[in-house]
Amino acid sequence: MRSKIEKLYTGIIFIFMYAPIVTLMVLSFNSSKSRAKWGGFTLKWYINLIHDSSVLNAMANTLVIALISTVIATVIGTITCVGLMGVNRRSRAVIMGITNIPMINADIVTGISLMLLFKVLHFETGFVSVLIAHITFNIPYVMLAVLPAMKTIDPNVYEAALDLGAKPFHAFRKAVLPNLTSSVLAGALMAFTMSIDDFIITYFTKGSGFDTLSTKIYNEVKRGIRPEIYAISTIIFAVVIVLLMMSERMRNRHASVRKDAPLYKVEKRISRRRFILMLVPAFAIIILGMYFGGVFKRKSNQLFVYNAGEYIDPEIIEMFSEETGIEVIYDEFETLEIMYAKIYQDDAAYDVLCPSDYMIAKLIDNDMIQELDLDKIPNRKNIGQQYMEASKAFDPGNKYAIPYCWGTVGILYNTTMVDEPPTSWDVLWDEKGAGEILMQDSIRDAFMVALIRNGFDPNTTDPEELAIAADDLIAQKPLVQAYVIDQAKDKMIGGEAAYAVTYSGDVMEAMAGNEDLDYVVPEEGSNVWLDCWVVTKKARNPEAAMKWIDFMCRPDIALKNFEFIMYSTPNTAAWEMIEDEELKNSEVAFPGDDVLKRCTSYTYLGEEGDQLYNDMWKKVKTGE
Amino acid sequence: MPINRKTSRLLNSPYVAWAVIFIIVPLFMVFYYGFTDDSGSFTFDNVAAIASPEHMHSLLLAVALSVVSTVICFILAYPLGMILARNKASNRSMIITLFILPMWMNFLLRTLAWMTLLENKGVINGVLDFLHLPGINIINTPAAIVIGMVYNFLPFMILPIYNSLSSIDDSVIFAARDLGADSKQTFFKVTLPLTVPGIISGVTMVFIPALTTFAISTMLGGSKILLIGNVIEQEFTLSYDWNLGSGLSIVLMVFIIINIVVSSISDKKGEES
Amino acid sequence: MKKELIKLNHISKAFDGELILDDLNLVIHENEFVTLLGPSGCGKTTTLRIIGGFETPDKGNVVFDGVDITDLAPNKRQLNTVFQKYALFTHMDVAENIAFGLKIRNKPQEFIEDKINYALKLVNLEGYEHRMPNSLSGGQQQRVAIARAIVNEPKVLLLDEPLGALDLKLRQDMQYELIRLKEELGITFIYVTHDQEEALTMSDHIVVMNQGYIQQEGSPEDIYNEPENAFVADFIGDSNIISSTMVKDELVNILGVDFVCVDKGFGEMKPVDVVIRPEDVELVPKGEGTISGVVSHVIFKGVHYEMEVTARGYKWLVHSTKLSEAGSEVDIKVDPFNIQVMNKPESEDEEALNPDAD
Repeated sequence: MRSKIEKLYTGIIFIFMYAPIVTLMVLSFNSSKSRAKWGGFTLKWYINLIHDSSVLNAMANTLVIALISTVIATVIGTITCVGLMGVNRRSRAVIMGITNIPMINADIVTGISLMLLFKVLHFETGFVSVLIAHITFNIPYVMLAVLPAMKTIDPNVYEAALDLGAKPFHAFRKAVLPNLTSSVLAGALMAFTMSIDDFIITYFTKGSGFDTLSTKIYNEVKRGIRPEIYAISTIIFAVVIVLLMMSERMRNRHASVRKDAPLYKVEKRISRRRFILMLVPAFAIIILGMYFGGVFKRKSNQLFVYNAGEYIDPEIIEMFSEETGIEVIYDEFETLEIMYAKIYQDDAAYDVLCPSDYMIAKLIDNDMIQELDLDKIPNRKNIGQQYMEASKAFDPGNKYAIPYCWGTVGILYNTTMVDEPPTSWDVLWDEKGAGEILMQDSIRDAFMVALIRNGFDPNTTDPEELAIAADDLIAQKPLVQAYVIDQAKDKMIGGEAAYAVTYSGDVMEAMAGNEDLDYVVPEEGSNVWLDCWVVTKKARNPEAAMKWIDFMCRPDIALKNFEFIMYSTPNTAAWEMIEDEELKNSEVAFPGDDVLKRCTSYTYLGEEGDQLYNDMWKKVKTGE
Repeated sequence: MPINRKTSRLLNSPYVAWAVIFIIVPLFMVFYYGFTDDSGSFTFDNVAAIASPEHMHSLLLAVALSVVSTVICFILAYPLGMILARNKASNRSMIITLFILPMWMNFLLRTLAWMTLLENKGVINGVLDFLHLPGINIINTPAAIVIGMVYNFLPFMILPIYNSLSSIDDSVIFAARDLGADSKQTFFKVTLPLTVPGIISGVTMVFIPALTTFAISTMLGGSKILLIGNVIEQEFTLSYDWNLGSGLSIVLMVFIIINIVVSSISDKKGEES
Repeated sequence: MKKELIKLNHISKAFDGELILDDLNLVIHENEFVTLLGPSGCGKTTTLRIIGGFETPDKGNVVFDGVDITDLAPNKRQLNTVFQKYALFTHMDVAENIAFGLKIRNKPQEFIEDKINYALKLVNLEGYEHRMPNSLSGGQQQRVAIARAIVNEPKVLLLDEPLGALDLKLRQDMQYELIRLKEELGITFIYVTHDQEEALTMSDHIVVMNQGYIQQEGSPEDIYNEPENAFVADFIGDSNIISSTMVKDELVNILGVDFVCVDKGFGEMKPVDVVIRPEDVELVPKGEGTISGVVSHVIFKGVHYEMEVTARGYKWLVHSTKLSEAGSEVDIKVDPFNIQVMNKPESEDEEALNPDAD
């Protein structure tokens, strides 16, 4: 009876531990891109992996960082443990105390502290900085595993080896090290695991253009992860399990062979096999990593592009590289504010960005972007004149920015979950929708909704008006299911919520995924936005940046991109080429003047205005 | 191993140099930024900012959620540790491996999987619905964050407790029984006190990361719930206010220092005994 | 005859299908120092643990003072155990360790303090009240463990190889200490050891066990002088055990030579084992003894010489204060009273009696 309860309890804990793992594995075979929906069995995500250089890159980076940091940390850690045997108690206590700091300290503090160090030293963050960070937090794991074993070693063993004529190093290697092997390996394995699993420290020390799986995932989490990531994680997990089972089996065989075969023969065979077994993946990982990570072959002809998430057809990037021979390092941001912080703080600047109207004004204002070399962008003629006019609101001479996409903000709703089609923002404050509302997790959009609902200008900097809007948002909070960005699309397709504040571009894809969805731009008014390509002041490759922008303005490219991301294109030449009449005249993608008339675009509010919004937003997020 | 002082200094110096540059100096930077304003002059404001209602609220919420998570982890882990420790036949390294294995599936993905499980139309509700049971509605609530914390940090509670339990000699338990203690008395007077070091290290390894997390709260809290970790993260990634971010980090370190003091006191006790 | 205190009736116990005790019967009397003696795996510790209540027998029952206590929990039994590895509570100091059982029984504080002082005095550890167990030497820890057990005034003290981890000198000191303690306390000691010397020194009554069976019970003198089988003879002290033939009553043929002995009732021309203690083998000049041989090895042992004499193909172990040089030819002579004749094992059960069986 008792043992049954024990088994049941252990079983429940293991189910708890492994249920998410199984879930992820199942998701890797789900043909629906949405997490919330099972669309049938498929292997396509695994097949896609072969071409998905960004995921493969991230994986290679993860493994290379883990491998190198583990090896270095193991060597340093083990040497230090040996050295610690010769120092007095007090010094040992001091060294161990310092060693404990990264173990006990919060990862976020360790990450921030290293980030500050790198920034202050103007050390370019990327592969090397992440590697240093990982070595730093890995050494303690090695030392904590090795030191206890070190203490149990009979000092006479070393002396005996010396006595028998061995030189000190030889004595250590032959007489002491074999006794430490298992603890050193245990420490190394722990370090490797921790390195693979680390997110927080990597997140703060990685800089731009470099991702490990962790940071890649975090970046994508907010808008629904690409299933390729489930696939690669499942592969990694499966490989680990297979390796574990192999080593377990080898240990068993080792034990069983021992009885009848001469011992030395078995030992030799096993150790050689184990050696090969360890070497093969190690080499494979390193070679793969060098290949994909391009760690040691920093090309000069590179272009760093920083764009919003899921905002381009990846094939276009490849096409660009093929045509121009320029390697594109493509990174994605979640919100414009995060993008700005990154550009502001990062020394390793991006070349090309794709911000919205008000953010472009801010970038111009802070002298962070440069005037375009318009002669090198002949294809800009394809952009509709009305959009060039509109962009004068933030770029008066049309000197800094070339439009990429535009759209409105409105309410995406599930017709089966609402009584009647909403026409007003008020529906987001209606008790009936409690728990069924997804709000935008970006400052300006969230405040825009509350400001317009209260009859204020969405570009106001009046603290009183903002305070009213903030209170309104706090009052709404209990009704809100979550604050999301691109994730809204995925959740709406899955039927997780009734209303979501979204960009019109997402609506097209969402409606294609779920027939019950519809979209409205509320009658009180809303925001119309225009995203444009700009080139940073610190761009290292402005030449390539101009080529990129010109490429994006080509009608065939703009059309291909539109068909993939479904965000309204300002490229008139491309629009004319749209074959699907329904799409071409879609009210959502290309709304009429009646809708546009009631929409305002955001303007830059100045440093103080931004600060005010930031503070108010923090109040909303922490308020109740 | 006997090593002379010179050799040992030689062997230690790479790590000591490393530790100074990448542990001590960076921490000093946090303190420097935490106690200066953006013009570089000394100020207490960044640390004192914790007292503002928004920050205080997120700190208290973080403390509350991490305390709850730590307690749940302890309650779940201790009986499991006892079962595993009693089960001598089973392979020790196998048990440890089983708890470390999930780490090979990325931490964020595992947390994401909980979103899939807990969502209103998620897997768990699907199963409950199939069984005609009422669904649960906890995604984007503190409860979901607690589940995420417990899930991610439970192994860090189980392993030290299991280690300290399995290092107790059976005969000590027999001795207590022999001296007249019933099983309850034996547990509270002998087993539990003997595992205090394991419990403390487990509590540290759960409480600190839970207190300072920002990824779990972002993912399972639907960005509705801001913990102190989120606030600090946003100071660096959104508001690029290094001074305020550092100041708030210093406040976090106070908790960590309290933890170190507590565990070193218990360590000392352990060493005396 | 002393009163019976503990009675084990037909006890059997198996672990993982391996039989450790098979139909064991044992009676222990009041105020006796009983030693369970045997090699590791003989079942002596299991027997002790069954008495202590840490194991439940598969078959049979345990009677304590006339009451069946087979299923009684250890904490309800009127006996206490001193464990092999001390099993002190490392999170408590010496005084707290000793007070543990008394506090469980809710004794008054004053009583507990008196008891602690009394017990510490008894085990010569006055002034150690507030030391932590890990700061004490092995011998001191063992004393604390004993003190911790005896303050509960058990009727029986179980000791599971308590001196096994101590060095030789300390072990000898503790042996006398234990005898003294037993005299002062006037209770029954059940002592488990594999050290025959320890058993002979301390015990009133020795129970020799092997492979789950009791081989022989009796006083130390009985066990030493009259081993009932080859196992006991071999286990207790050094012996010459020689396969022989009982010619008739009081005459045994050893290695082809007839020896006069005092044993009767084995029948005629029956195969038997003969035990002769090394100190009972006399070496006499050639021609004066019964069997002739050559001294092949000599070791000086302090009190005596240990010599090996090869005679008639058997290597005789001889202890004597008189030296016969290695290589010298000698004769062997044995007093009839010193020839111990034993039955050879016949049945399968008796296999266990044969020390070479495993």
